[in-house]
Amino acid sequence: MTQQTESDKAQPQDAPEIDQTHIRFLTPEMCVIHLGSHAALHVTVKNERIYGGVFAAYAFPVAYPQGYISLIHSVGEGKDREIGLIRDLNDWPAEQADLVRAALKRRYFIHTIQKINHIGWKYGYISMNVETDKGPVEFMMSWQYDRAVDYGKGGKTLIDVEENRYLIPDVSKLEPHEKSEFTRIIYW
Amino acid sequence: MSHRSAVFNRQLPDDLSELLRREGIFPDHAWMAVETDINLSGNYEPGWLIAEPDRILVVSQPTTAVPAPVRLLLSRESIKEIRTRQGVGGGFIDALVEGIYVEVIGYSNARADIFHKAAKKLKQWVEGQQPSIHPDDDRNPRKCLKCGMTLQFKGDMCRRCVDRGATFMRAVKMMRPYAGKAIFMMCLVVVNIAIGLVPQKLVQLLIDFVLAPEQAHNRIPESPRSWLLALVGALLGTYIFAAVIAMIIGRLASFVGTQITYDMREKVFNHLTKLGIDYYDRYNVGQLMSRVAGDTEQMKGFVHQMTFGFVAQLIQVATVGVMLFTISWKLAAFTLLPAPLVVLASVFFWKRIYPRYYRVWDANSKLHSALNTILSGIRVVKAFGQEDREQKRFGRSSGYVRDSFRGVEYTVSMFNPAMGFIFQLGGLIVWYVGGMMVLGDKNLSSDLHPYTLGRQLQFLGYLGMFYGPLNSLTQLTNWLTQFLTATQRTFEILDTTPQIVQVEKPHRLPAAASIKFENVSFGYNRHEPIVRNVSFEIKPGEHIGVVGKSGSGKTTLVNLIARFYDVDDGRVLINDHDVREIDVDDLRKNVGVVLQEPFLFRGTIFANVTYGQRDATAEEVLAAAKSANAHDFIMRHPLGYDTYIGERGAGLSGGERQRVSIARALLYDPTILVLDEATSSVDTESEKLIQDALKRVTAGRTTIAIAHRLSTLKNSDRIFVVDNGKIVENGSHEELMALEGLYYRLVKIQTELSREPSIDRLAVEKK
Repeated sequence: MTQQTESDKAQPQDAPEIDQTHIRFLTPEMCVIHLGSHAALHVTVKNERIYGGVFAAYAFPVAYPQGYISLIHSVGEGKDREIGLIRDLNDWPAEQADLVRAALKRRYFIHTIQKINHIGWKYGYISMNVETDKGPVEFMMSWQYDRAVDYGKGGKTLIDVEENRYLIPDVSKLEPHEKSEFTRIIYW
Repeated sequence: MSHRSAVFNRQLPDDLSELLRREGIFPDHAWMAVETDINLSGNYEPGWLIAEPDRILVVSQPTTAVPAPVRLLLSRESIKEIRTRQGVGGGFIDALVEGIYVEVIGYSNARADIFHKAAKKLKQWVEGQQPSIHPDDDRNPRKCLKCGMTLQFKGDMCRRCVDRGATFMRAVKMMRPYAGKAIFMMCLVVVNIAIGLVPQKLVQLLIDFVLAPEQAHNRIPESPRSWLLALVGALLGTYIFAAVIAMIIGRLASFVGTQITYDMREKVFNHLTKLGIDYYDRYNVGQLMSRVAGDTEQMKGFVHQMTFGFVAQLIQVATVGVMLFTISWKLAAFTLLPAPLVVLASVFFWKRIYPRYYRVWDANSKLHSALNTILSGIRVVKAFGQEDREQKRFGRSSGYVRDSFRGVEYTVSMFNPAMGFIFQLGGLIVWYVGGMMVLGDKNLSSDLHPYTLGRQLQFLGYLGMFYGPLNSLTQLTNWLTQFLTATQRTFEILDTTPQIVQVEKPHRLPAAASIKFENVSFGYNRHEPIVRNVSFEIKPGEHIGVVGKSGSGKTTLVNLIARFYDVDDGRVLINDHDVREIDVDDLRKNVGVVLQEPFLFRGTIFANVTYGQRDATAEEVLAAAKSANAHDFIMRHPLGYDTYIGERGAGLSGGERQRVSIARALLYDPTILVLDEATSSVDTESEKLIQDALKRVTAGRTTIAIAHRLSTLKNSDRIFVVDNGKIVENGSHEELMALEGLYYRLVKIQTELSREPSIDRLAVEKK
């Protein structure tokens, strides 16, 4: 990971304002993604400025999880401004791409369900015991339409009573008995 | 900091505390210590945010990858601002340090409430104040007090704590006002069932004493024709009596059933009107319509089940069962052999079928909702030529209903015949064993109580009366499921606590005038504030204009004044009283709102103008309409004020609807008038008429006008410029122009745009 110290401080220079009416695609030729002070994500755009405290967000988290990633920095008073979009993360040097991936992982705290051990159902609540990429989890969710929403063509995002998110990328790829139990209750 | 909080003065593990002490960090000295569940890599890992008087630290147990327990340390001097930032499934506390926002700590949504409170305390700390921490901070209105379960929203009922048996008993209790009638009705039901047993007994007497007395070892009667006539007469009397009883039961059941449904529907609707706007933000109208219209109807079905359905059948099964055992306990025991199988099958069926019934309800709700949306927006559909697409969309919803019903009915159609078959096996046993007993099988019948042909026919007759209802009782699960589902959904509405609650002794508000916001923060979704720490004061009679970009929080400000929502933080004061302590009726009476999209109800124009003031006289209505520039167009209609207008004011133009709504507000005579984009959806000519009307209407009233067209606010005493939930500029038009800030820029942009020629404007200018 690139750790810069010299240009740690994001500069509120008199750099030209980013035109917010057009999409700007960032390329490795025009900018460098690196860590700055306090391990915050920084983006240095050549001949422009260093943007500190940057965070990343997907434009199309379902359709293009590797691309169209927006890099955003805060300008204060609760306002954010987009620095630009990364068209495809694979076009970037691995080290910089990893920094963006780590930023995305921080922002999207989503459990990907790998196996459903048990689904129970009582009084309008669904209790689930699942294996996820973050380890085994048991959670309760309301049995409501807006608590299990479509993810792409065949996936589902489940939102538990605490509003934590659990992703099943493709319901059809669950084991037959898991799928049968799941669709018996989450039928929509 | 006089008390400790379990959440905000969290104890660190002993080993970690010891480790920190060795590094000169004393968690016990911290004024706040909050535990998080995830680290900044987005993985589960407990961590603690420790706030000491001069610095904050984030600490965690040492790991191989990160051996030091301190993950972040920031001095108070270095922090310029603290904020929370929402991610997906979690969030962060950020600190503005050396011009950049540094992620201090991450948390999952499970802890979002805690960290939002923690961030507020940190903000105070950064500003040099000493934040207070109290055990009350641990209270969370989104947790069930009984079981600790997280609720969907503040005041939501905890469905884990809902008792199903209690749901049933609540439904029964709904009958309390009609208890006398219901008890009388049930007595008649029992009598009716008892009468139903008589004909089979008469059959037995006919066979064993009149038609074939020899086989029963009885004497041949001297006058069999008289016996026969007497039995036929008895049968006729029984039938007449039964018919009369059934008629009375039917009338009583209809009375009680429709009355309970009416009561329930009224209760639900009344409660819905008491629920806050936030409730309607969460549920769509189609779903609520289905609950009010459809689910309450189940109460009628409940009474029907008592009289002619399952309750009556249960009594019949018990009564006939006793009769069967009286005739021959051995034979009766044989007929009950299939019963355990039926019970087991029913239990299994209940478990499987229950979610499918929800699916049917869900499908019906969606169909209503889709239909409502499509028909309400039919003009848009036609304007964009999307009829085919909407037909397909409706087809999908309709197909979903079809498939859902099939799903249930296919299962039910398998289950019921299977149960029927099992019962019929019992019938076969009676034919064979009973037949053997009549034939004199010594092993089965006794000499003391010979089993006669009459008894066999009586037994078979009762068997029909026993199996018939028993067969239907296998469907009890269907009905009970449907009934409990619908009833629970209905009670769900009744159990939802209105967010806007009246205090026990509210302040009366004869006339309102001044408005004050004190550090008000509010958001429709938790953790996403729309209004951020806003403070201002409006004097009596002052005219305030509110401008700002779409989504900046303008309408939210006025929603808080009218108390459509309660603030999350701070206070809204009217006449120096917190709006939460003011009588809600008085408050609404004093705050009149004219919305961008005026909502008119189906009815006459007169009824719409007098909507908030039903006792207004004709002359008052005329005066209000005249002031609102509505009188002239109303009079152009042949029926004048008695003109009937359709749903949502159909039949009137946008400008006309708006003027009727202004007349309505004027007649209501509020002391505070809120105009929310009142002229933005009308043509220029209508706008001029409305503006003229508003000038008259607002005279002498405290007025808050939100508008996109800044020219309409030019004459306001003061203008609030709202941006990102804050009032960023506040002053007269001239003062704000001189400031050359956001207002100045907005005026410049609009001036540029208004140079474009407009047919509307030309027409107005010509006049």
